[in-house]
Amino acid sequence: MASITRSRRLLKWIGNGLLVIFLVWTLVPFYWMVATSLKRDKEIYGFEATLVPRHPTLQSYQRVFAQTPFVKYLRNSMIVAVSTTIASLAFGSLGAYALARLRFPGRAFIARGLIFTYLVPPALLFIPLFAVMSALSLIDTRTGLILAYLGFTVPFCTWLLLGYFRSVPMELEEAALVDGCSRLSALARIILPMSLPALAVVAFFSFTQAWNEFLYANVFVNSVEARTITTGLTLFIVEDVFFWGPMMGAACIATLPPVALYLIFQRWVVKGLTLGAVKG
Amino acid sequence: MALQTNSTRAYAGTVVIDAPALPRRPHASFGVRRETRLAYAILAPTLLVILSLVAYPFIGAIYLSVQDKMVGSPGKFVGLANYTELLGDETFLRTAWNSLVYTLVAVALKFVIGLTMALVLDQERRFNNFFRTLLFVPWAVPVVIVALNWRWIFDDLSGLLNNFLITFHLTHDIISWLSDPRLAMGCVIAVVVWAGTPFYAMTFLAGLQSIPRELYEAAEIDGAGVLHQFTQVTVPRLRTIFITTVMLSTIWTATNLQFVLILTRGGPASRTDIFPHLAYQTALGARRLGMGAAVSLVFFPVLVVAIVIATRQMLRDRDE
Repeated sequence: MASITRSRRLLKWIGNGLLVIFLVWTLVPFYWMVATSLKRDKEIYGFEATLVPRHPTLQSYQRVFAQTPFVKYLRNSMIVAVSTTIASLAFGSLGAYALARLRFPGRAFIARGLIFTYLVPPALLFIPLFAVMSALSLIDTRTGLILAYLGFTVPFCTWLLLGYFRSVPMELEEAALVDGCSRLSALARIILPMSLPALAVVAFFSFTQAWNEFLYANVFVNSVEARTITTGLTLFIVEDVFFWGPMMGAACIATLPPVALYLIFQRWVVKGLTLGAVKG
Repeated sequence: MALQTNSTRAYAGTVVIDAPALPRRPHASFGVRRETRLAYAILAPTLLVILSLVAYPFIGAIYLSVQDKMVGSPGKFVGLANYTELLGDETFLRTAWNSLVYTLVAVALKFVIGLTMALVLDQERRFNNFFRTLLFVPWAVPVVIVALNWRWIFDDLSGLLNNFLITFHLTHDIISWLSDPRLAMGCVIAVVVWAGTPFYAMTFLAGLQSIPRELYEAAEIDGAGVLHQFTQVTVPRLRTIFITTVMLSTIWTATNLQFVLILTRGGPASRTDIFPHLAYQTALGARRLGMGAAVSLVFFPVLVVAIVIATRQMLRDRDE
């Protein structure tokens, strides 16, 4: 027993040491990003990398807002991510209700198909989707992007909500149905209000995935009008010149929405991970 | 009431099995038919999305891969010519090897580091919730930003890494991290691991916290040491989480284009070229859509194994 207490104490100190290493490894890149965004160009491109900006300035941020269509990119990202989220919530709730509560031929097959479709990687679909989008004149439109994103958010949302709806007790709903309440109003009045944590998780994931997406945004959009923030950031690279200051400034701003949502929703998010597993 | 079902907990296969056991009431078939109609009506948007945005493009990919279609011009059927051309192509073979090494090493490292991180965060400690929150932040950050930021850290002249090494006299020469053929792949993998480890740590930590403490206490009374407790209690309890996490991560790691595209563009001399990047370059750089589809399909059979295992595991987890 004594040896166990001793190895416990040893493990505790090893754990603390590792924690410090993990924290440094995780946080230094973020610090470097913020520090860079606050430096002047002369300091950024000097031969000596200063850990703390010598003359902190918001110049880079000014350049981002004044000299690039960054605000337009932000707006596009917001429109695309919010629309994707709303549509995913609506489609997902309806589909999950059918799969959780109604009995019909093909139900098991469809439930299985949901995971399968969610796992088919965009890297395989972007080429034929590009052909489809061209044919439908959806290239360079936000609508095209929203549609493309629904391809992975809807199967995931439906799958996650399905698991949650099934855990909502039947009795309340049965009582409502006996009282003559229709299926859809049972969904709206009983199931959805009881599933708020799951809806929050689903909303978080849809928003974040749409906001963070790069491949489709890069392939389907070429114009300023529909460009989103992720591909907008790569425009701070011109030929072989990297505008690190403004790029890191823009990156800091673009990181804020998903990270803020993560901080708000984290308790539910971790639960959602175990419920349905999420892109990582 | 025929509308009532007791199959709330039932799922997938079991539903089919318990269906006939339900009492048959008059008008049951009418109710069932109405239920089916309603079900398909409200499933319609989801099904439409799946069919038009996943199933149709998937078949489209197969169809494209047997054509010589270029961007902006119609293609003609060429049979398996694209595939046979690929198998004789040196870049392709190099890419296949790279993809294998890249995926295996990145997944293995994420697994080991993620498990370590989860074990550390599972220890008792003040402010542990705060540390968890901090360590998981990279997971929420857009991958493109992670990649751009690391490209800046790796920068030859002004980057943080070289400056750090030179300041502390760990090296005298500037190291070209991303353009040195011996280092480039290692750097790409390091960034992938940095971004992907939190996902592992999160799922593993959730698994660790669901293990009842009594199991450890019982093992301790039996005289099991710390290592023994880990192999006899922790590992068997986390087995299913290990499988699901590794399968999902394998799919997403192997098919992620962004890291390579932003860090190295597949260079130097194709040293870091992997399948999704080669497909991207072929389809959009060289504008050969048919060939690009063939490239992305060639690595799909390998992924199917991971997808099938992950699907099975996720269905099973839910039934428990």
